[in-house]
Amino acid sequence: MTLTTGRELPITGLRPTGEPVAVWIGDADPTQDQSNQLRLRPPVSARTVSFITVAALLLAWSLAAHLQLVSPVFLPSQYAVAAKLVSVAQNGFVDATLLQHLAASLGRVFAALVVALAVGIPVGIAIGVSVVGRGIFDPILEFLRPIPPLAYLPLVIIWFGIGEPSKILVIAIAMIAPIALSAASGVRGVSQERVNAARALGASRAQVIRHVILPSSLPSILTGLRIALGAGWTTLVAAELIAATRGLGFMIQSAAQFLVTDVVIMGIFVIAGVAFVLEFVIRRLEAALVPWAGRD
Amino acid sequence: MTKLTLDNVTVHYEGQPQPAVVDTSLSVASGEFVVLTGRSGCGKTSLLNVAAGLVAPAGGRASVNGLPIAEPGADRAVVFQNDALFPWLTVRDNVAFALRMRGVPEAERRDRSDAVLTQVKLEGYGDRRIWELSGGMRQRVGLARALAAEPDFLLMDEPLGALDALTRERMQTLLLDIWAASGVGVLMVTHGIEEALLLATTVFVMAPGPGRIVKRIEADFGRRYAAGEPVRSIKADAVFVLARAELADAIFEGELA
Repeated sequence: MTLTTGRELPITGLRPTGEPVAVWIGDADPTQDQSNQLRLRPPVSARTVSFITVAALLLAWSLAAHLQLVSPVFLPSQYAVAAKLVSVAQNGFVDATLLQHLAASLGRVFAALVVALAVGIPVGIAIGVSVVGRGIFDPILEFLRPIPPLAYLPLVIIWFGIGEPSKILVIAIAMIAPIALSAASGVRGVSQERVNAARALGASRAQVIRHVILPSSLPSILTGLRIALGAGWTTLVAAELIAATRGLGFMIQSAAQFLVTDVVIMGIFVIAGVAFVLEFVIRRLEAALVPWAGRD
Repeated sequence: MTKLTLDNVTVHYEGQPQPAVVDTSLSVASGEFVVLTGRSGCGKTSLLNVAAGLVAPAGGRASVNGLPIAEPGADRAVVFQNDALFPWLTVRDNVAFALRMRGVPEAERRDRSDAVLTQVKLEGYGDRRIWELSGGMRQRVGLARALAAEPDFLLMDEPLGALDALTRERMQTLLLDIWAASGVGVLMVTHGIEEALLLATTVFVMAPGPGRIVKRIEADFGRRYAAGEPVRSIKADAVFVLARAELADAIFEGELA
């Protein structure tokens, strides 16, 4: 290999032979950027390291379970957990199949999302467009935002009982703040020139909100929706603490009471998997709904 | 025949020690092409925004046919320097925006916006997205969007400022074609000396500190173009060259060389 410039020397010299050149996250081409000249390409990518980490954890779990280093009551093997996934999917656990638990939980989270969007978007817009709106809603949101759901759960139950509405409300409360705050920041970021353009084309104040401010802040609202779904999914187990008969959170808690650890672990993986899928769906939704974001 | 009039207008922004524009008067009638030019900070855009109804004058009066201008309206459509298009809408829906605000039915909106797109030589681009277009095309969409409102006046704030020189020349003749065909009154802000002279029926030269009109020049080069004379021959005409020198002198007068 002939090295033509001194600049390439340290970079090429560190490339592991025979492997594709690892890409440093965030840097398209280090040779293009003067500040990168002295930074060396790492020999492996973060993705490879992540893959190795996960594999090592699974292996450690497998070994610990296989060699009975820990009692199966506390740490069942992966096979036991996988078998449980199949058996709960087919025969159910605490009077409902896995799909029914999943449907119950998703139903609550989405019902809460509808409530949170219906409340959060108008509140966010009110904060963004009007001083009075900001004066009214800012303190309320700032009060609600840092409170953990478990703290207001008892009050919600005292006020609204132990039925389904209370569970949905608890999740919705956790979702409203991120949606409203994202909507407000989206509204504040709307280009004044576009608002002026719309007004000079005969749009009324209401039409400016509907046809300029709302679509302009949609990318920001979708970001809020993503954060809100994360928050809602996190709140799910708390919401299903009281008087639930179905749901992933309820399933895990029931299993824990009977020390059925494999169901607990399986439930955790299902919750993580669903969160992952939701994140993916929302990113696709963003690409479909706001293809202009970041392009103008 | 409509007439937009600014009488002794003063613009003073909150928190500024000095007014942006002082005691300035001008008028634009249908079929006129009035250009405001001058060095940066002379209040050209402020004056245009008063005419648009986007800025309320601190003193004086802005009116259309005697009726005071209180807010923006589609009778005075604005074309902005940074096009200010709506990227969430297609090209056609951008152009049809003013019609939609008026509640014009969809089919009619479509026909009328396609007709305007043809006028600005963008036929067939109706379904494109804004970010797929070049700067010159985007500016033509901005122009089409203003024209589709069927305004009495077209207010343009450095509409060609961000374009490359060749695109800019083509846009100038397009503007003249549209102006001559539609008979709208135009009020345009530009930094381009040659552009001001070629397009305008009246050029107002403004000077800063505080902003005011220092010279008025009448021109007929745009009308000559509309009557069929090629731009090259107009620009080569000794009358044009002299007028250009006179305009440049007026713009830079009072500025230390």
